[in-house]
Amino acid sequence: MFLHNLKYSLKTLFKNKTLIFWTFAFPLILGTLFQMAFQDIEKNETLDTISIAIVEEKENNIKNIFEELEIEDKKMFSIFYGNEEEAKEKLEQSEISGYLILSDTPKIIVKENGINQTILKYVVGEIIETEEIMNNMITYEISQNGVLTNEFYQTLYENIKKIELENKIEIKDISSRNLSYTLIEFYTLIAMTALYGGILGLYLINQNLANQSSNGKRIAVSPASKRTIIISSALAGYIVQLIGIALLFLYTIFALHINYGEHFFFILLLTLIGCLAGLSMGIMIASIFKINENTKTGIVIAFTMLSCFLSGMMGITMKYIVDKNIPILNIINPANMITDGLYSLYYYETLDRYYFNIISLIIFSCFMLALSMQSLRRQKYDSI
Amino acid sequence: MTVFKAYLKVLNKNKWMVILYTVILIFFAGFNMKTSDTRGFVTEKPDILIVNEDENIGITKHFINYIKENSNIKEIKEDENARNDALFYRDVNYIIYIPKNFRIDFLEGKNPEIKVKSTGDYMAFLSEMLVERYFKIANIYKSIETNEEKLEMLIENTLQKETEVEMTSKLDTDTLTKAAYFYNFANYSILAGSVFVICFIISSFKEEKVRKRTIVSSHNYRKYNRELLLSNSLFAFTLWLFYVLLSFILVGKAMLTSHGIVMILNSFVFSFTSLTLAFFIGNLISNKEAISGIVNVIALGSSFLCGAFVPMEFLPDFVITISHILPSYYYISNNEMVKTLEIISLESLQPFFINIGMMLLFSLLFIVLTNIVTKRKSS
Repeated sequence: MFLHNLKYSLKTLFKNKTLIFWTFAFPLILGTLFQMAFQDIEKNETLDTISIAIVEEKENNIKNIFEELEIEDKKMFSIFYGNEEEAKEKLEQSEISGYLILSDTPKIIVKENGINQTILKYVVGEIIETEEIMNNMITYEISQNGVLTNEFYQTLYENIKKIELENKIEIKDISSRNLSYTLIEFYTLIAMTALYGGILGLYLINQNLANQSSNGKRIAVSPASKRTIIISSALAGYIVQLIGIALLFLYTIFALHINYGEHFFFILLLTLIGCLAGLSMGIMIASIFKINENTKTGIVIAFTMLSCFLSGMMGITMKYIVDKNIPILNIINPANMITDGLYSLYYYETLDRYYFNIISLIIFSCFMLALSMQSLRRQKYDSI
Repeated sequence: MTVFKAYLKVLNKNKWMVILYTVILIFFAGFNMKTSDTRGFVTEKPDILIVNEDENIGITKHFINYIKENSNIKEIKEDENARNDALFYRDVNYIIYIPKNFRIDFLEGKNPEIKVKSTGDYMAFLSEMLVERYFKIANIYKSIETNEEKLEMLIENTLQKETEVEMTSKLDTDTLTKAAYFYNFANYSILAGSVFVICFIISSFKEEKVRKRTIVSSHNYRKYNRELLLSNSLFAFTLWLFYVLLSFILVGKAMLTSHGIVMILNSFVFSFTSLTLAFFIGNLISNKEAISGIVNVIALGSSFLCGAFVPMEFLPDFVITISHILPSYYYISNNEMVKTLEIISLESLQPFFINIGMMLLFSLLFIVLTNIVTKRKSS
């Protein structure tokens, strides 16, 4: 009986196009969209060469400093030299971020606020400061020795450079290398697929409920063990779910080139338990609510979407806001248990938080199954 | 009126979907539209967290104050995990750890080390510039000044030297960016809302029993089609009007300027295109269960690929190329263009009208396709 029901449950699931779309195809489509939209977003946040123009009204050595500035082996500025008219024209066309007029005091002209404009201002500011520092050093020298020797004047700039190089405050970056936040989107995708599995559980349980389908009525009057039927149906749901999640992993890894990091075994373990949580949630909703199937499906979808939303699917900031302000909401949120478990695996060096999420998911699943059992056992109808 | 009444009945059943898409719009648009009424040049400020283990006096205090003036200081729970989370989710761009005895070590010339955590983006770069700049100046002056207070004074005076920055644009870019953000996001709500509802209604009217009853009734089929078309148009129009009103509430007076009005006009044309698209899809499919899948793929797809969620400038080039085949691309391009337009005139709006023309062409295409589909199906 067990195998018989398992086989036919699998067949019914695979024949239901809507179910297959939501559990198999939709995550793949969403994953593709995520990858297309987000693949450049982090690259765009790092600094690129800034285009500026310099208008020289007076001979000035500032431009040499600008030419020399580099950041990570890339030139910091790409500079156009010309007159003010040309610079203005370029600014108007947004070809440059701003231009610098070099007269007695340098002046920056920009079109709008922005990061490039701020950096330009900082760099010019530093150049002006260096002049100020030189002046102060000269004043100091005069106050100390009364006269300014030619030698001092000549070595002043080198001395400053020397101080800069030798007495440098060491800035040591100790941040984790794994800072790619777009990965969270893919974690929420895994969470969504796992929870969408709930629809499968729901559909199968409904097939076995006498008050939901004629199939259920037939099963109810048959002498088959209800436990065997329910367990084999749930297993069929779980198998289909695992096929769905395997497809998602294969697709994201090989087609979208998502790098899930080195702990693949842990990721898999969490996903397997996550799928169980999704399935048990579906079974719970199917068994305790006495409403029609469409409304039940609606509840599963709405609950899944809300959980995913709170765990950062529509913008990862949401997860952070909830974690920070209403942590309890995300502690009981199954989508967040999956997302957060994967996130902690990626970002943290210790596994405490990961295990906490694994245990939460197991507790969640057990709780859901206990609720369903409570309502499924000893169901009898005199008439229906 | 019979058709219209029936229409309203079906619409009433779907009100929750429309409300859902609207709530998403209000939430995301409202959430991401930061207000600031500044005009003229303002420097960008990174979000910095300072973890100070030294005493907050002397040069340490002076340094912290300098960072405070040039950044947004964040307060995070005193817990390393909370700090790490804040960094990961970009609540802070840069964390500065000032070690114990920093001040004394610095004044004694021991060159103490400062540990930092950084997101590695441009805001983090800016933060690093701030820190390096301060200590560069402090180190140089330390060679001529040993008195801490006087040293602070020297640093202070030097850092106060401001560079003059002039801003040419007199546009209220902040508010216009907000408006563009709202209307870009509305791409999703307009598309999803109208396609979902209209498809659902059309398929409800196409249900076999309903259709058979309609055919045998005395109701003229032309009148019937016209009423259905009018009702759908009325719905699309109401939805558009509602979003425009919403933009007045969320964005404010800027919607009444010529820039705002051009954006509203743009959204009107887009609503029309969505209506024709919805008509086409509604006539193409007959399975009610498939609607929500199709709507999600179309609305999310166009929104992701055309820059409604992620700004166009952040999208890879090949995605932009692909997005040319979608009407949303022309709608969002228009919003982005109007946002930066200095003067609104017939001449400067030329590219705008080209995009409008493209949207209308799409509408025409959808209408033709609808006709082909209905003709095939009826024969």
